[in-house]
Amino acid sequence: MRWRSVLPRLGYELPPDLTPPSANGPLTPSVPLELIRQSVSAREYWDIPEPVAEQYRRYRPTPLWRATAFERAIGAEVPVYVKYEGGNISGSHKLNTALAQAYYYQRAGVRELVTGTGAGQWGTALAAACAAFGLSCTVFMVGGSLRDKPYRGSLMRLLGAQVHASPSGLTEIGNQGGGNSLALAIGEAVEYAKAGEGRAFCIGSGENYSILHQSVIGQEAIEQLSTMDAEVDTVIGCVGAGSNFGGIALPFFSCDDQGPTLLAAESSSTPKLTRGVYAYDLTDATGTGPMEAMYTIGSQYSIPASHSAGLRFHGAAKLLSAMRHRGQIAATAVGQRAALEAGRAFAGSELIVPAPESGHALAAAASVVTGRDAKHRGGRGVLVCVSGHGLLDLAAYDQLLAGQLTDLAADPEAVELATAALTRVDNTLVEVN
Amino acid sequence: MTPTQARRAEVNDAVKRIVALESRLSLAPHEIPDAEPLNGDLLKVNSLGFLGMLVRLEDELDVTLPDDLFTGRTFHTVADLTGVVLLAVGEQP
Repeated sequence: MRWRSVLPRLGYELPPDLTPPSANGPLTPSVPLELIRQSVSAREYWDIPEPVAEQYRRYRPTPLWRATAFERAIGAEVPVYVKYEGGNISGSHKLNTALAQAYYYQRAGVRELVTGTGAGQWGTALAAACAAFGLSCTVFMVGGSLRDKPYRGSLMRLLGAQVHASPSGLTEIGNQGGGNSLALAIGEAVEYAKAGEGRAFCIGSGENYSILHQSVIGQEAIEQLSTMDAEVDTVIGCVGAGSNFGGIALPFFSCDDQGPTLLAAESSSTPKLTRGVYAYDLTDATGTGPMEAMYTIGSQYSIPASHSAGLRFHGAAKLLSAMRHRGQIAATAVGQRAALEAGRAFAGSELIVPAPESGHALAAAASVVTGRDAKHRGGRGVLVCVSGHGLLDLAAYDQLLAGQLTDLAADPEAVELATAALTRVDNTLVEVN
Repeated sequence: MTPTQARRAEVNDAVKRIVALESRLSLAPHEIPDAEPLNGDLLKVNSLGFLGMLVRLEDELDVTLPDDLFTGRTFHTVADLTGVVLLAVGEQP
Protein backbone atom coordinates (compact mmCIF):
# COMPACT_ATOMS: atom_id res chain seq x y z
CA MET A 1 0.00 0.00 0.00
CA ARG A 2 1.19 3.52 -0.83
CA TRP A 3 -0.40 6.90 -0.21
CA ARG A 4 -2.24 8.19 -3.26
CA SER A 5 -2.53 11.88 -4.07
CA VAL A 6 -5.53 13.28 -5.91
CA LEU A 7 -3.66 16.43 -6.98
CA PRO A 8 -2.41 15.14 -10.36
CA ARG A 9 -5.91 13.93 -11.24
CA LEU A 10 -7.73 17.20 -10.56
CA GLY A 11 -7.02 18.86 -13.90
CA TYR A 12 -6.12 22.21 -12.33
CA GLU A 13 -3.86 23.72 -9.70
CA LEU A 14 -5.09 24.87 -6.32
CA PRO A 15 -5.20 28.62 -5.71
CA PRO A 16 -2.02 29.77 -3.95
CA ASP A 17 -2.04 30.68 -0.27
CA LEU A 18 -1.76 34.37 0.59
CA THR A 19 0.27 36.05 3.31
CA PRO A 20 -1.95 38.00 5.71
CA PRO A 21 -1.29 41.77 5.58
CA SER A 22 -0.53 41.81 9.30
CA ALA A 23 2.12 39.12 9.14
CA ASN A 24 5.34 41.09 8.43
CA GLY A 25 8.53 39.77 9.96
CA PRO A 26 11.11 37.01 9.79
CA LEU A 27 10.15 33.48 8.80
CA THR A 28 10.62 30.49 11.03
CA PRO A 29 9.48 27.57 8.91
CA SER A 30 9.01 24.39 10.87
CA VAL A 31 7.21 21.94 8.61
CA PRO A 32 9.41 19.14 7.28
CA LEU A 33 10.08 19.54 3.58
CA GLU A 34 8.80 16.07 2.79
CA LEU A 35 5.33 17.12 3.99
CA ILE A 36 5.49 20.15 1.73
CA ARG A 37 6.61 18.00 -1.20
CA GLN A 38 3.59 15.79 -0.55
CA SER A 39 1.38 18.90 -0.58
CA VAL A 40 2.51 20.49 -3.81
CA SER A 41 4.00 17.77 -5.97
CA ALA A 42 2.24 16.30 -8.99
CA ARG A 43 3.40 12.82 -7.94
CA GLU A 44 0.44 10.47 -7.50
CA TYR A 45 1.86 7.62 -5.38
CA TRP A 46 4.07 8.05 -2.31
CA ASP A 47 5.89 5.27 -0.49
CA ILE A 48 4.91 4.94 3.16
CA PRO A 49 8.13 4.98 5.24
CA GLU A 50 8.67 1.61 6.91
CA PRO A 51 8.50 2.96 10.51
CA VAL A 52 5.07 4.44 9.71
CA ALA A 53 3.93 1.29 7.88
CA GLU A 54 5.01 -0.75 10.91
CA GLN A 55 2.72 1.36 13.12
CA TYR A 56 -0.11 1.10 10.57
CA ARG A 57 0.12 -2.69 10.76
CA ARG A 58 -1.00 -2.50 14.40
CA TYR A 59 -4.51 -1.54 13.28
CA ARG A 60 -4.72 -1.60 9.46
CA PRO A 61 -6.40 -2.69 7.31
CA THR A 62 -9.46 -1.45 9.14
CA PRO A 63 -12.73 -3.36 8.76
CA LEU A 64 -15.30 -2.77 6.03
CA TRP A 65 -18.62 -4.59 6.09
CA ARG A 66 -22.13 -4.41 4.76
CA ALA A 67 -24.19 -2.98 7.62
CA THR A 68 -27.31 -5.08 7.10
CA ALA A 69 -28.62 -4.54 10.63
CA PHE A 70 -28.31 -0.77 10.20
CA GLU A 71 -30.02 -1.07 6.81
CA ARG A 72 -32.98 -2.79 8.46
CA ALA A 73 -33.06 -0.27 11.32
CA ILE A 74 -33.38 2.69 8.96
CA GLY A 75 -35.37 1.05 6.17
CA ALA A 76 -32.62 1.30 3.55
CA GLU A 77 -33.50 0.59 -0.05
CA VAL A 78 -29.90 -0.01 -1.12
CA PRO A 79 -26.89 -1.59 0.61
CA VAL A 80 -24.87 0.43 3.11
CA TYR A 81 -21.18 -0.42 3.45
CA VAL A 82 -19.29 0.88 6.46
CA LYS A 83 -15.57 1.53 6.75
CA TYR A 84 -14.69 1.79 10.43
CA GLU A 85 -11.68 3.82 11.58
CA GLY A 86 -12.31 3.79 15.33
CA GLY A 87 -10.36 0.66 16.19
CA ASN A 88 -7.07 2.17 17.28
CA ILE A 89 -5.91 3.78 20.52
CA SER A 90 -6.90 7.26 19.35
CA GLY A 91 -10.35 6.00 18.44
CA SER A 92 -10.35 7.69 15.04
CA HIS A 93 -8.84 8.02 11.59
CA LYS A 94 -6.60 10.83 12.84
CA LEU A 95 -3.85 8.38 13.75
CA ASN A 96 -3.20 7.75 10.05
CA THR A 97 -1.66 11.19 9.58
CA ALA A 98 -0.47 11.71 13.15
CA LEU A 99 1.95 8.81 12.78
CA ALA A 100 3.23 10.08 9.46
CA GLN A 101 3.66 13.62 10.72
CA ALA A 102 5.38 12.59 13.95
CA TYR A 103 7.79 10.46 11.93
CA TYR A 104 8.71 13.30 9.57
CA TYR A 105 9.00 15.90 12.35
CA GLN A 106 11.19 13.59 14.43
CA ARG A 107 13.41 12.99 11.40
CA ALA A 108 13.66 16.76 10.89
CA GLY A 109 15.04 17.25 14.40
CA VAL A 110 11.92 18.49 16.18
CA ARG A 111 11.65 17.40 19.82
CA GLU A 112 8.13 18.52 20.78
CA LEU A 113 4.92 18.71 18.75
CA VAL A 114 2.21 21.17 19.71
CA THR A 115 -1.33 21.19 18.43
CA GLY A 116 -4.91 22.28 18.91
CA THR A 117 -7.78 19.84 19.04
CA GLY A 118 -11.55 20.11 19.07
CA ALA A 119 -13.16 16.82 19.99
CA GLY A 120 -9.83 15.48 21.22
CA GLN A 121 -9.46 12.82 18.57
CA TRP A 122 -6.60 14.61 16.85
CA GLY A 123 -4.92 15.44 20.14
CA THR A 124 -5.14 11.82 21.22
CA ALA A 125 -3.82 10.63 17.88
CA LEU A 126 -0.88 13.03 18.04
CA ALA A 127 -0.15 12.04 21.64
CA ALA A 128 -0.06 8.39 20.55
CA ALA A 129 2.12 9.16 17.53
CA CYS A 130 4.55 11.20 19.63
CA ALA A 131 4.76 8.29 22.06
CA ALA A 132 5.53 5.98 19.15
CA PHE A 133 8.32 8.19 17.79
CA GLY A 134 9.80 9.51 21.05
CA LEU A 135 8.57 13.10 20.87
CA SER A 136 7.09 15.32 23.60
CA CYS A 137 3.54 16.46 22.93
CA THR A 138 1.50 19.48 24.07
CA VAL A 139 -2.19 19.74 23.25
CA PHE A 140 -4.54 22.73 23.49
CA MET A 141 -8.07 21.33 23.54
CA VAL A 142 -11.25 23.38 23.14
CA GLY A 143 -12.16 24.02 26.77
CA GLY A 144 -15.84 23.19 26.57
CA SER A 145 -15.05 19.98 24.79
CA LEU A 146 -12.49 18.94 27.40
CA ARG A 147 -15.01 19.70 30.12
CA ASP A 148 -17.60 17.49 28.42
CA LYS A 149 -15.10 14.74 27.66
CA PRO A 150 -12.59 14.63 30.50
CA TYR A 151 -11.43 11.12 29.61
CA ARG A 152 -10.04 12.46 26.33
CA GLY A 153 -7.67 14.47 28.53
CA SER A 154 -6.93 11.38 30.61
CA LEU A 155 -6.08 9.36 27.53
CA MET A 156 -3.77 12.03 26.14
CA ARG A 157 -2.01 12.37 29.49
CA LEU A 158 -1.72 8.59 29.72
CA LEU A 159 0.14 8.74 26.42
CA GLY A 160 2.51 11.33 27.88
CA ALA A 161 1.02 14.57 26.53
CA GLN A 162 0.62 17.88 28.36
CA VAL A 163 -3.03 18.92 27.94
CA HIS A 164 -4.34 22.47 28.30
CA ALA A 165 -7.97 23.60 28.13
CA SER A 166 -8.27 26.44 25.63
CA PRO A 167 -8.41 29.37 26.38
CA SER A 168 -5.50 28.33 28.57
CA GLY A 169 -4.10 31.52 30.06
CA LEU A 170 -0.70 30.54 28.65
CA THR A 171 -0.84 32.57 25.44
CA GLU A 172 -1.55 36.12 24.37
CA ILE A 173 -4.15 35.02 21.85
CA GLY A 174 -5.93 32.98 24.51
CA ASN A 175 -5.91 35.91 26.92
CA GLN A 176 -7.56 38.14 24.33
CA GLY A 177 -10.73 36.09 24.59
CA GLY A 178 -12.38 35.18 21.33
CA GLY A 179 -14.49 32.33 22.56
CA ASN A 180 -14.20 28.64 22.64
CA SER A 181 -13.43 27.25 19.26
CA LEU A 182 -11.00 25.08 17.42
CA ALA A 183 -9.54 28.13 15.65
CA LEU A 184 -8.59 29.58 19.04
CA ALA A 185 -7.11 26.30 20.29
CA ILE A 186 -5.05 26.12 17.11
CA GLY A 187 -4.04 29.75 17.54
CA GLU A 188 -2.80 29.05 21.04
CA ALA A 189 -0.86 26.05 19.81
CA VAL A 190 0.75 28.12 17.05
CA GLU A 191 1.82 30.79 19.52
CA TYR A 192 3.05 28.29 22.12
CA ALA A 193 5.07 26.37 19.54
CA LYS A 194 6.79 29.53 18.33
CA ALA A 195 7.87 30.41 21.86
CA GLY A 196 10.01 27.34 22.52
CA GLU A 197 13.13 25.85 20.95
CA GLY A 198 12.71 22.43 19.38
CA ARG A 199 8.93 22.81 19.25
CA ALA A 200 6.79 22.69 16.14
CA PHE A 201 3.11 23.20 15.58
CA CYS A 202 1.39 20.54 13.55
CA ILE A 203 -2.16 20.18 12.35
CA GLY A 204 -4.48 17.31 11.75
CA SER A 205 -6.96 17.84 9.03
CA GLY A 206 -6.95 20.43 6.34
CA GLU A 207 -3.50 20.32 4.82
CA ASN A 208 -2.94 18.41 1.61
CA TYR A 209 -0.42 16.12 3.26
CA SER A 210 -2.94 15.12 5.97
CA ILE A 211 -5.47 14.22 3.30
CA LEU A 212 -2.79 12.30 1.41
CA HIS A 213 -1.98 10.20 4.48
CA GLN A 214 -5.68 9.43 4.92
CA SER A 215 -5.83 7.96 1.41
CA VAL A 216 -5.14 4.56 2.95
CA ILE A 217 -8.81 4.52 4.02
CA GLY A 218 -10.29 4.81 0.54
CA GLN A 219 -7.68 2.63 -1.12
CA GLU A 220 -8.34 -0.17 1.35
CA ALA A 221 -12.08 0.31 0.83
CA ILE A 222 -11.72 -0.06 -2.95
CA GLU A 223 -9.87 -3.35 -2.46
CA GLN A 224 -12.32 -4.60 0.16
CA LEU A 225 -15.39 -3.74 -1.93
CA SER A 226 -13.82 -5.48 -4.89
CA THR A 227 -13.22 -8.60 -2.78
CA MET A 228 -16.88 -8.53 -1.77
CA ASP A 229 -17.92 -7.98 -5.39
CA ALA A 230 -19.78 -4.90 -4.18
CA GLU A 231 -20.35 -1.61 -5.96
CA VAL A 232 -21.17 1.82 -4.58
CA ASP A 233 -22.36 4.96 -6.30
CA THR A 234 -22.12 7.29 -3.31
CA VAL A 235 -19.24 7.69 -0.85
CA ILE A 236 -19.92 9.66 2.31
CA GLY A 237 -17.77 11.07 5.11
CA CYS A 238 -18.21 13.82 7.66
CA VAL A 239 -16.30 17.07 7.23
CA GLY A 240 -14.68 19.24 9.85
CA ALA A 241 -11.83 20.45 7.68
CA GLY A 242 -12.01 17.32 5.58
CA SER A 243 -9.37 14.68 6.22
CA ASN A 244 -11.57 11.64 6.82
CA PHE A 245 -13.86 12.60 3.96
CA GLY A 246 -10.83 13.15 1.75
CA GLY A 247 -9.39 9.85 2.90
CA ILE A 248 -12.46 7.76 2.14
CA ALA A 249 -13.65 9.65 -0.93
CA LEU A 250 -10.74 10.95 -3.00
CA PRO A 251 -9.30 7.55 -3.98
CA PHE A 252 -12.70 7.01 -5.67
CA PHE A 253 -12.44 10.31 -7.55
CA SER A 254 -12.63 10.00 -11.28
CA CYS A 255 -12.00 13.07 -13.42
CA ASP A 256 -14.24 11.71 -16.19
CA ASP A 257 -17.39 11.89 -14.06
CA GLN A 258 -17.69 8.10 -14.06
CA GLY A 259 -16.96 7.64 -10.37
CA PRO A 260 -19.37 7.63 -7.45
CA THR A 261 -20.84 10.80 -5.98
CA LEU A 262 -18.54 12.03 -3.23
CA LEU A 263 -20.82 13.46 -0.55
CA ALA A 264 -19.44 15.54 2.32
CA ALA A 265 -21.62 15.59 5.43
CA GLU A 266 -21.05 18.72 7.46
CA SER A 267 -22.64 20.10 10.61
CA SER A 268 -25.52 22.52 10.13
CA SER A 269 -23.86 24.67 12.79
CA THR A 270 -20.77 25.08 10.55
CA PRO A 271 -22.20 24.81 7.03
CA LYS A 272 -19.21 26.07 5.05
CA LEU A 273 -19.65 23.82 2.02
CA THR A 274 -23.39 24.33 1.75
CA ARG A 275 -23.81 27.93 2.90
CA GLY A 276 -20.34 29.43 3.07
CA VAL A 277 -18.46 31.55 0.55
CA TYR A 278 -15.38 30.58 -1.48
CA ALA A 279 -12.89 33.10 -0.24
CA TYR A 280 -9.48 33.66 1.29
CA ASP A 281 -9.70 33.25 5.04
CA LEU A 282 -7.49 32.62 8.03
CA THR A 283 -6.88 29.10 9.27
CA ASP A 284 -6.31 30.04 12.91
CA ALA A 285 -7.12 32.76 15.40
CA THR A 286 -3.61 34.29 15.49
CA GLY A 287 -4.02 35.58 11.96
CA THR A 288 -0.35 34.98 11.24
CA GLY A 289 -0.64 31.77 9.23
CA PRO A 290 -1.26 31.85 5.50
CA MET A 291 -4.70 32.71 4.20
CA GLU A 292 -6.11 29.83 2.22
CA ALA A 293 -8.75 29.65 -0.49
CA MET A 294 -11.58 27.85 1.24
CA TYR A 295 -15.30 27.56 1.60
CA THR A 296 -15.82 29.38 4.86
CA ILE A 297 -18.47 30.80 7.13
CA GLY A 298 -15.84 33.28 8.34
CA SER A 299 -13.01 32.76 10.81
CA GLN A 300 -14.60 35.53 12.88
CA TYR A 301 -17.91 33.72 13.07
CA SER A 302 -18.68 32.58 16.60
CA ILE A 303 -19.55 28.90 16.23
CA PRO A 304 -22.22 27.67 18.64
CA ALA A 305 -21.29 24.87 21.02
CA SER A 306 -22.20 21.40 19.84
CA HIS A 307 -21.33 17.80 20.55
CA SER A 308 -19.44 17.50 17.28
CA ALA A 309 -16.40 19.51 18.26
CA GLY A 310 -14.42 17.91 15.45
CA LEU A 311 -16.71 19.61 12.94
CA ARG A 312 -16.58 23.01 14.64
CA PHE A 313 -14.22 24.62 12.18
CA HIS A 314 -15.12 27.61 10.06
CA GLY A 315 -13.56 26.42 6.80
CA ALA A 316 -13.08 23.38 4.62
CA ALA A 317 -9.67 22.21 3.43
CA LYS A 318 -8.43 24.13 0.40
CA LEU A 319 -8.29 20.92 -1.62
CA LEU A 320 -11.89 19.99 -0.89
CA SER A 321 -12.98 23.59 -1.34
CA ALA A 322 -11.48 23.72 -4.83
CA MET A 323 -13.17 20.43 -5.69
CA ARG A 324 -16.48 21.74 -4.36
CA HIS A 325 -16.03 24.89 -6.42
CA ARG A 326 -15.55 22.72 -9.50
CA GLY A 327 -18.54 20.53 -8.75
CA GLN A 328 -16.32 17.50 -8.09
CA ILE A 329 -17.73 16.86 -4.64
CA ALA A 330 -21.22 17.30 -3.24
CA ALA A 331 -22.20 18.43 0.25
CA THR A 332 -25.07 18.24 2.68
CA ALA A 333 -25.59 19.73 6.15
CA VAL A 334 -26.85 17.65 9.06
CA GLY A 335 -28.15 18.79 12.45
CA GLN A 336 -26.67 17.27 15.58
CA ARG A 337 -29.99 15.69 16.62
CA ALA A 338 -30.26 13.82 13.34
CA ALA A 339 -26.57 12.88 13.62
CA LEU A 340 -26.95 11.43 17.09
CA GLU A 341 -30.21 9.68 16.16
CA ALA A 342 -28.33 8.01 13.33
CA GLY A 343 -25.56 7.19 15.78
CA ARG A 344 -28.08 5.62 18.15
CA ALA A 345 -29.55 3.54 15.33
CA PHE A 346 -26.07 2.41 14.34
CA ALA A 347 -25.09 1.52 17.91
CA GLY A 348 -28.28 -0.46 18.44
CA SER A 349 -27.94 -2.35 15.18
CA GLU A 350 -24.23 -2.70 14.40
CA LEU A 351 -23.14 -2.64 18.08
CA ILE A 352 -20.58 0.12 17.58
CA VAL A 353 -21.04 3.55 19.13
CA PRO A 354 -20.03 6.08 16.50
CA ALA A 355 -18.55 9.46 17.32
CA PRO A 356 -21.08 12.29 16.98
CA GLU A 357 -19.04 13.53 14.03
CA SER A 358 -19.42 10.17 12.31
CA GLY A 359 -23.13 10.34 13.13
CA HIS A 360 -23.36 13.14 10.57
CA ALA A 361 -22.06 10.81 7.88
CA LEU A 362 -24.44 8.07 8.97
CA ALA A 363 -27.39 10.47 8.96
CA ALA A 364 -26.48 11.63 5.47
CA ALA A 365 -26.18 8.01 4.36
CA ALA A 366 -29.55 7.19 5.89
CA SER A 367 -31.12 10.06 3.95
CA VAL A 368 -29.60 8.84 0.70
CA VAL A 369 -30.47 5.16 1.05
CA THR A 370 -34.05 5.81 2.16
CA GLY A 371 -34.74 8.35 -0.57
CA ARG A 372 -35.25 11.23 1.87
CA ASP A 373 -32.39 13.14 0.25
CA ALA A 374 -33.92 14.26 -3.01
CA LYS A 375 -30.61 15.59 -4.35
CA HIS A 376 -28.45 12.53 -3.79
CA ARG A 377 -29.48 8.99 -4.65
CA GLY A 378 -27.77 5.69 -4.11
CA GLY A 379 -28.67 3.06 -6.67
CA ARG A 380 -26.19 0.23 -6.16
CA GLY A 381 -24.85 1.00 -2.73
CA VAL A 382 -23.49 3.64 -0.38
CA LEU A 383 -20.13 3.58 1.37
CA VAL A 384 -19.89 5.57 4.58
CA CYS A 385 -16.85 6.21 6.73
CA VAL A 386 -17.42 5.87 10.46
CA SER A 387 -14.36 7.88 11.31
CA GLY A 388 -14.28 7.23 15.02
CA HIS A 389 -15.96 5.72 18.05
CA GLY A 390 -18.12 7.64 20.48
CA LEU A 391 -17.22 5.87 23.69
CA LEU A 392 -15.85 9.12 25.09
CA ASP A 393 -18.88 11.08 23.84
CA LEU A 394 -21.53 9.40 25.92
CA ALA A 395 -22.66 12.67 27.51
CA ALA A 396 -23.96 13.63 24.08
CA TYR A 397 -25.92 10.40 23.78
CA ASP A 398 -27.22 10.91 27.34
CA GLN A 399 -28.61 14.27 26.25
CA LEU A 400 -30.21 12.66 23.22
CA LEU A 401 -31.86 9.98 25.35
CA ALA A 402 -33.07 12.62 27.79
CA GLY A 403 -34.63 14.63 24.96
CA GLN A 404 -32.40 17.58 25.76
CA LEU A 405 -30.56 17.84 22.47
CA THR A 406 -31.26 20.81 20.25
CA ASP A 407 -30.06 21.78 16.79
CA LEU A 408 -28.00 24.92 16.54
CA ALA A 409 -28.07 25.95 12.91
CA ALA A 410 -25.75 28.73 11.81
CA ASP A 411 -27.20 32.23 11.94
CA PRO A 412 -27.37 33.46 8.30
CA GLU A 413 -26.95 37.12 9.24
CA ALA A 414 -23.92 36.38 11.40
CA VAL A 415 -22.37 34.31 8.61
CA GLU A 416 -22.96 37.12 6.13
CA LEU A 417 -21.33 39.56 8.50
CA ALA A 418 -18.35 37.28 9.14
CA THR A 419 -17.72 36.74 5.44
CA ALA A 420 -18.55 40.18 4.05
CA ALA A 421 -15.00 41.50 4.06
CA LEU A 422 -13.30 38.36 2.78
CA THR A 423 -11.62 38.39 -0.62
CA ARG A 424 -13.44 36.01 -2.95
CA VAL A 425 -11.29 33.52 -4.83
CA ASP A 426 -10.59 34.39 -8.43
CA ASN A 427 -12.52 32.05 -10.68
CA THR A 428 -9.71 31.83 -13.23
CA LEU A 429 -7.92 28.84 -11.78
CA VAL A 430 -4.97 27.53 -13.77
CA GLU A 431 -5.93 24.76 -16.15
CA VAL A 432 -3.58 21.80 -16.50
CA ASN A 433 -3.35 19.93 -19.77
CA MET B 1 33.34 33.27 -14.37
CA THR B 2 34.49 30.17 -12.45
CA PRO B 3 32.13 27.19 -12.05
CA THR B 4 31.68 28.14 -8.41
CA GLN B 5 30.77 31.70 -9.30
CA ALA B 6 28.41 30.44 -11.98
CA ARG B 7 26.68 28.11 -9.53
CA ARG B 8 26.35 30.90 -6.97
CA ALA B 9 24.84 33.20 -9.60
CA GLU B 10 22.46 30.46 -10.69
CA VAL B 11 21.25 29.90 -7.11
CA ASN B 12 20.98 33.62 -6.45
CA ASP B 13 18.90 34.17 -9.60
CA ALA B 14 16.68 31.17 -8.93
CA VAL B 15 16.00 32.27 -5.35
CA LYS B 16 15.10 35.80 -6.42
CA ARG B 17 12.87 34.65 -9.27
CA ILE B 18 10.95 32.41 -6.90
CA VAL B 19 10.57 34.95 -4.07
CA ALA B 20 9.21 37.41 -6.65
CA LEU B 21 6.77 34.80 -7.94
CA GLU B 22 5.69 33.87 -4.41
CA SER B 23 5.10 37.57 -3.68
CA ARG B 24 3.14 37.94 -6.93
CA LEU B 25 5.59 40.56 -8.22
CA SER B 26 6.91 40.87 -11.74
CA LEU B 27 10.46 41.84 -10.78
CA ALA B 28 13.67 40.68 -12.40
CA PRO B 29 16.22 39.06 -10.07
CA HIS B 30 18.59 42.02 -10.28
CA GLU B 31 15.83 44.31 -9.00
CA ILE B 32 15.70 42.47 -5.68
CA PRO B 33 18.49 43.40 -3.24
CA ASP B 34 20.14 40.59 -1.27
CA ALA B 35 19.21 42.38 1.95
CA GLU B 36 15.52 42.65 1.06
CA PRO B 37 13.31 41.20 3.85
CA LEU B 38 11.46 38.07 2.76
CA ASN B 39 8.33 39.26 4.50
CA GLY B 40 8.36 43.01 4.51
CA ASP B 41 7.12 45.96 2.51
CA LEU B 42 8.16 44.57 -0.90
CA LEU B 43 8.26 40.78 -0.65
CA LYS B 44 5.37 38.88 0.95
CA VAL B 45 6.39 35.34 1.75
CA ASN B 46 4.71 33.29 4.50
CA SER B 47 6.22 30.32 6.28
CA LEU B 48 4.36 27.65 4.34
CA GLY B 49 4.82 29.51 1.08
CA PHE B 50 8.49 29.69 1.93
CA LEU B 51 8.66 25.92 2.17
CA GLY B 52 6.74 25.55 -1.07
CA MET B 53 9.36 27.80 -2.64
CA LEU B 54 12.09 25.48 -1.42
CA VAL B 55 10.42 22.54 -3.08
CA ARG B 56 10.25 24.50 -6.34
CA LEU B 57 13.92 25.43 -5.90
CA GLU B 58 14.73 21.74 -5.57
CA ASP B 59 13.16 21.15 -8.97
CA GLU B 60 14.77 24.16 -10.56
CA LEU B 61 18.27 23.49 -9.23
CA ASP B 62 17.95 19.71 -9.35
CA VAL B 63 18.91 19.25 -5.71
CA THR B 64 17.30 17.61 -2.71
CA LEU B 65 17.32 19.80 0.37
CA PRO B 66 17.53 17.94 3.69
CA ASP B 67 14.47 17.98 5.93
CA ASP B 68 16.37 19.25 8.96
CA LEU B 69 18.17 22.07 7.20
CA PHE B 70 15.55 24.61 8.17
CA THR B 71 14.35 23.41 11.55
CA GLY B 72 14.94 26.01 14.23
CA ARG B 73 16.27 28.62 11.80
CA THR B 74 14.94 32.11 11.28
CA PHE B 75 15.06 33.71 7.86
CA HIS B 76 15.02 37.49 7.55
CA THR B 77 16.31 38.34 4.09
CA VAL B 78 16.76 36.98 0.60
CA ALA B 79 20.45 36.48 1.41
CA ASP B 80 19.54 34.20 4.33
CA LEU B 81 17.64 31.95 1.96
CA THR B 82 20.30 32.05 -0.72
CA GLY B 83 22.92 31.14 1.85
CA VAL B 84 21.12 28.08 3.10
CA VAL B 85 20.43 26.82 -0.42
CA LEU B 86 24.10 27.32 -1.33
CA LEU B 87 25.09 25.25 1.69
CA ALA B 88 22.69 22.54 0.61
CA VAL B 89 24.22 22.40 -2.86
CA GLY B 90 27.71 22.22 -1.43
CA GLU B 91 28.83 25.82 -1.89
CA GLN B 92 29.96 28.31 0.73
CA PRO B 93 27.52 31.21 1.11
